[in-house]
Amino acid sequence: MNEFHLTEDQQDCLQELINIAMGQASDQLARYLDTFVYLKVPSIESVAAKDLMKTLSQQKNTMAVVSQGFFGYEGIRGEALLVYQEEGSARIADLLGYEPDELSQDEQLIDISSILTTTFLNVFAQQINNQLSYNAPKLLPNIQEILSEHLQQMPFTWDLALKVNINYQVTDYSFNCNMILLIPETAITNIKHVLDRILEEF
Amino acid sequence: MPDINTPISPAISEVPDVNELVLKQINSQIANQLNTGVLVVDADFNIVIWNRFLQVHTDKIPGNIIGQSIFCAFPELPQRWLSRKLSSVLQLNTPSFCSWQQRHHLFELPHTRPITTDSEFMAQNCTFLPIETDDNSKYICILIEDVTDACHYQMQLQKTLAEIAQISRIDGLTQIYNRRHWQDSLEQEYAKARRHDKKLSLIMLDLDHFKLLNDNYGHQGGDMVLIEVSALISALLRVEDTFGRYGGEEFAIILPETDSAGAIELAQRICRIIAITPFTYNDQVINVTVSLGVAQLSSREANYEELITQTDSALYQAKSQGRNQVCNATELL
Repeated sequence: MNEFHLTEDQQDCLQELINIAMGQASDQLARYLDTFVYLKVPSIESVAAKDLMKTLSQQKNTMAVVSQGFFGYEGIRGEALLVYQEEGSARIADLLGYEPDELSQDEQLIDISSILTTTFLNVFAQQINNQLSYNAPKLLPNIQEILSEHLQQMPFTWDLALKVNINYQVTDYSFNCNMILLIPETAITNIKHVLDRILEEF
Repeated sequence: MPDINTPISPAISEVPDVNELVLKQINSQIANQLNTGVLVVDADFNIVIWNRFLQVHTDKIPGNIIGQSIFCAFPELPQRWLSRKLSSVLQLNTPSFCSWQQRHHLFELPHTRPITTDSEFMAQNCTFLPIETDDNSKYICILIEDVTDACHYQMQLQKTLAEIAQISRIDGLTQIYNRRHWQDSLEQEYAKARRHDKKLSLIMLDLDHFKLLNDNYGHQGGDMVLIEVSALISALLRVEDTFGRYGGEEFAIILPETDSAGAIELAQRICRIIAITPFTYNDQVINVTVSLGVAQLSSREANYEELITQTDSALYQAKSQGRNQVCNATELL
């Protein structure tokens, strides 16, 4: 246990906020995409940078990863990684309501990533009375070699991060992907303050 | 109007009312001096305002633009795709992005480096931001960043990297593959042959008495022979064969899906053609012969290096039997 780990109360509080945000996000996404969007119960854990690189680069069948940075007031910031497998990504254009020839596969991945990330984080930000801005999403090339390099070159340096893993599923389009939110050390301290404030209000 | 850096909730009241007009003027002047295009459309995608950057770059008359549909004002926009994208901004209340790496540009705008870049239009990163006013009206702010420079440098970089990759594979003198690339190729072909149980043969060859040739005609004469021999052999190979310079006057050829009979036939052809081809240097005719070793991959080799060793032994045998001939590794067993 150190200063970057959440207490049990903080962890419960964050879990609850994320659950609420997931419910709202899935509702909004369902309306926009005109199909049911399932979000699985998220996992929240602290990860060491080196372990994260190992798990991510060992994930089988990873086809693409899209990264998008986010930042808000009170030092809340981090990065969202959307991880795609070949088998869950064939009909993204269809899902987004585009004709397949209107956009490349890269653009499909970037577009859906941006929609999933910003929709979820926007409602999450509302929960903590914040407002987030976003970097343009980026497709990371050649996933196996580049991913660990990318994690080392993120806009912030960190040894430990708070990792929130959310799985998205759209069964009608056989779509499946994982969203991994990484919140680096300094931002963890800030999010702990926010959580403490919310806990006090109850 | 709050300052752009002011947090929405706590500090808003600290901005005194008297400054509102001043702030408005400052904001509008900033918008007009930005080196970024700013365009706002309403929920029906009709243009509400745009900044000076766009007025200057589009060469369109403001009076005709305001109130017009963005798709009429800019007929180059991909309407179906962009409408769907704009809808996501309105409906989900989230920003959306479009990078030059996926679409070079959306708006056909001239750029400020017309001579030094090869693209006709400004490369753009576009951002679509949701805006909701106090009366609950929804708008979309489109930011258009000029990234022609970044795009140009990225293209140059990619071109240069491709050139470097090519150079790192090629032997400077003979223009055939260098040893490193040849060996990498062999490693791959070896793995392929093992995985799919395919045939694979190697030829290694060496110019006979090359040191003597260098002594008699000078190193430039020797270099000329290396270049000519390389070109001659290249012309005899199939596209799938990999021909490289293994050492000073030693060459090696990877022959995928080829048995030793095929490899020997090719080796003998190379041997014969080089022997009958006169090379001329400074009006002097130089006669060159080569010795060649051939080996086919069998179940015995545990790695590709052992196949090289087999072929090399055959080459050594061809040398010791009097040069200008082909020797098969199986003859050594």
